[in-house]
Amino acid sequence: MALEGSGAPRPRATAGGSSAGPPEGWEAPRERWLSTVVRPAFGPRSVLLEVAARLLIPAILTLSVFLLVSGHDRPGGGFAGGLVASMAYVLRYIAGGRHELAAGLPMRPNTLLALGMIVACGAAGVPLLFGRPILDTVKWEFTLPVFGDVKLLSALIFETGVFLIVVGLVLSVVAALGARMEAEEAEARQERAAEQARAARRRGGEKA
Amino acid sequence: MLLPFIIAIHALAAVAIPPLVRLLGPRAFLVASLPPILSAVWALSQAPEIVAGRAVSASIPWVPALDINLDFRLDALALAMVLLVSGVGAVIFCYSAAYFSSGERALGRLASVMVLFAGSMLGVVTTDNLFALYVFWELTSVTSFLLVGHDDRKENSRRAATQALVTTAGFGLLMLIGFIILGTIGGTYSISALLADPPTDSPWLPAALVLILAGAFAKSAQAPLHYWLPGAMVAPTPVSGYLHAAAMVKGGVYLIARLSPGFADVDPWRVLVLGFGLATMVVGGWRALRQDDLKLLLAYGTVSQLGFLTLLAGAGTHTAAIATIGVLLSHGLFKSTLFLTVGIVDHQTGTRSISRLSGLGRRMPVLAVAAGLAAASMAGLPPLLGFVGKEAALEAFVPGHAGELPQGVAWTVLVGLVFGSVLTFAYSARFVWGAFADKATVSARRFKAPSAPFVAAPVLLSAAGLVLGVASPLLDPIAQSYAAAYDDGGYPYHLALWHGLTPALGLSALVIVLGAAMFWWRRPVARLQNSMPRWPDADAGYHLFIHTVYSSALSVTRRSQSGSLPVYLGIILATMLALPGLRMLAALITGELALPLGGEHLRLWDSPLEAVVALVIIVTAVATVREHRRFPALILLSAMGFGIAGLFVLHGAPDLALTLVLVETLTTIILVFVLRLLPTTFHTRPNGWAKRLTLLLCSAAGTFIAVALWLTTSARTAEPISREFAGYAEQAGGHNLVNVILADFRALDTFGEVVVLATAAVAVASLVLLNRRDRIVDEPDVDINEEEIELAMRAPGSPVSENADLGTRGEEGADLRISRSRTGDKPKEGS
Repeated sequence: MALEGSGAPRPRATAGGSSAGPPEGWEAPRERWLSTVVRPAFGPRSVLLEVAARLLIPAILTLSVFLLVSGHDRPGGGFAGGLVASMAYVLRYIAGGRHELAAGLPMRPNTLLALGMIVACGAAGVPLLFGRPILDTVKWEFTLPVFGDVKLLSALIFETGVFLIVVGLVLSVVAALGARMEAEEAEARQERAAEQARAARRRGGEKA
Repeated sequence: MLLPFIIAIHALAAVAIPPLVRLLGPRAFLVASLPPILSAVWALSQAPEIVAGRAVSASIPWVPALDINLDFRLDALALAMVLLVSGVGAVIFCYSAAYFSSGERALGRLASVMVLFAGSMLGVVTTDNLFALYVFWELTSVTSFLLVGHDDRKENSRRAATQALVTTAGFGLLMLIGFIILGTIGGTYSISALLADPPTDSPWLPAALVLILAGAFAKSAQAPLHYWLPGAMVAPTPVSGYLHAAAMVKGGVYLIARLSPGFADVDPWRVLVLGFGLATMVVGGWRALRQDDLKLLLAYGTVSQLGFLTLLAGAGTHTAAIATIGVLLSHGLFKSTLFLTVGIVDHQTGTRSISRLSGLGRRMPVLAVAAGLAAASMAGLPPLLGFVGKEAALEAFVPGHAGELPQGVAWTVLVGLVFGSVLTFAYSARFVWGAFADKATVSARRFKAPSAPFVAAPVLLSAAGLVLGVASPLLDPIAQSYAAAYDDGGYPYHLALWHGLTPALGLSALVIVLGAAMFWWRRPVARLQNSMPRWPDADAGYHLFIHTVYSSALSVTRRSQSGSLPVYLGIILATMLALPGLRMLAALITGELALPLGGEHLRLWDSPLEAVVALVIIVTAVATVREHRRFPALILLSAMGFGIAGLFVLHGAPDLALTLVLVETLTTIILVFVLRLLPTTFHTRPNGWAKRLTLLLCSAAGTFIAVALWLTTSARTAEPISREFAGYAEQAGGHNLVNVILADFRALDTFGEVVVLATAAVAVASLVLLNRRDRIVDEPDVDINEEEIELAMRAPGSPVSENADLGTRGEEGADLRISRSRTGDKPKEGS
């Protein structure tokens, strides 16, 4: 990297291991709290927020899947589940900025949308192949060794499509309103700085 | 009957042609000519039946409930049109194979659209249902748009295509209204049924006919709507020869000819048809005489001939009907010959300007003879088909021969016809002279002689005109079969070369003498034309109209779209108060509606907790309105949202509450993203009267909504349907009723909403990103060189390291887009 040893003023969360130097040993953190090291969306970096995000995101995502699956009998469903899941990504974005958002996504928002549409359309259309009305629901009940009696509705597939579309919607809005604007600001900042740097260089040249 | 099948073959061929063009080049046009050949041969094989008076028909139900069916009916008129559309069409397809070079741009599209056009035109002339006719009619407009705009890189050609489309399709809409009125008052949309039993006693009939005639006049380029036809001459010549000579422009004439047996006697049919037809014939002929471009000369000539045809088709007499068939066929043959001739001349010499062509007759004698014959047919010289048709046309208006026409009208039309024919003779002569004569003032151009197959098409069409002229009794049965709808009034008439010494023959001779004189003294005539005052230009009228539409749309938008969100919201609220609000108020005052005050309708609360939540909502609402800073206002607003979610919880709707909380949270976060870019406080808050008005409007709207909710919830008379849902939900396999409704009972609604969500996601992203065009360009990785720059700033005067520049060139981050910044994924351990 070109920046090596430039004395970056920003604290850098280095990974543990033999090559990176101190701190060494078992107490050194094995990984950073977020996967990329960049400035967060707003304000200065907050370790507290990063740690909280790291701890919470898996739980939030699990909750979202729970809401999706349990929706038939309890409050929840694809829409609520999708909102919760996108909340996890929004948290990630707030903690780590746009690069963190991009790094955390399994795929691009548009792909998510497309996947969701395919799943929902498939769930709507497949009953037609079996001579049943569109969006018809089938119920399967069976007994599994550990889980006991399990009930599955084919509507769950449709709900999964809804889930994916909601996540895709929120993420593309965040990407458009948050990340893009942030990128634009950064660009403007950089241009301003480059301008000043050029001015500084000109002054230096005159002195020489 | 094979006809629907043949039309389907046209559509299939249109799909198959583009790959064939890639494979065979322009020779694929020969393949494209197969469907028209098939339909022409099939139509000819049906001819004996049809001539005997037995129309062939078929029907495919489409929307039977609305009486929209793909009915097809092949009678004598349709047969004549099919022979033109498909017969002449096939010849032009073969000609196209020689005309286009393999390097022609978008040749596949051109060929495909031409076949599609042939199929649509076939549909127009054979369908027996008004709606199906309209659909095919507009298909020809759309395909014609694509064909005229073939050279889509030229603004000129795009503009001409748009003009043709706007004119024909715009007036086509009027025609559709006319069709609907006609079908409604007639009780059927079947054309043959309407003609058999025309609803002549309805007061709406004249309006319907005027609207239909407007559509037909626009399609057949009648003055003052003729401007699009000369404009459309930017199309490749085979297209012009097909669309603007043989097929499409005949659509209007066909429609008039189709309807006039039933409606010619209804006012104001005859006045319109004879008036516009005659005017068009004279205007077109007069303009044709002035053109220097051979193709434009033919275009104005076509306008003139279309006027002639309109007049004949709409006159509604026996002889005129016979003349219609004769002129229809002869015009199709000679005009396409002449267009194809111009195409060859243009193709070989590179120009079609009269003032630059000389001596072509000696170099291309075969073509010159063919074109000469066609021009003679156009001028009405014996023994060609054009003469037979014109003779019949003149005969139709000899005063006293047709009882339907008053003497005065017959005289006027006859004089007009003779004048128009003189003009026709003059411009026909001018065409032949202009294209082929040796001109002393023009030096001959060097060019390659055209190949034999290239010349074959015009020669064939021209020969057909000659043969059919001599053998005109062959065509007579078709004409008689069509004219059988009219009473011949004791003057039977047959298509033939020789009827004895009749007044019509005398008039023909007069036309020839006067026309020859007009051509001979062409310089004085041209001087006369130039000294005439300039007529108002129909084309300018079109542009004025378009400009007026455009500018009034702009001014309306400017006035109604102020760009201020409070104003928009105010308009919406005011509309709501003005329409349903005032109505409700009136109903409350007159006692029509009673406020449900008593008993179970109005109680303070179900649980005292609701009062607490309501207090929170009220306080936050008031505080939001009074807050001057954006960010606190947003927080207060979402607090109010959470309060409403609390109400849902208290009423036992956890699903609703959950969703509302989630949505509130997300919208708040997203609004924070946006608020960063806005000033911290609301700068423009209304004051004085504006403030009072806003306050009044908002409280009125709030009151209205509250009262309306109160009224509607207590206005229930039937048992709620949802009572039984709980049982159904168990059957469907879920205990959560809301969810089962969303995912099962009303899953189609959910599906629609999800599609809307996906669309909105794409739209939001595009709206925000379209802000700046350069978004598509990859942005350099900012983080890499930012530190460098900071460093450089901190030490002014010190030389800046090269890295600062290196970063902006962005080798590191060149592939880093925000949407897939996978480079950020890799931990920067090594650095």
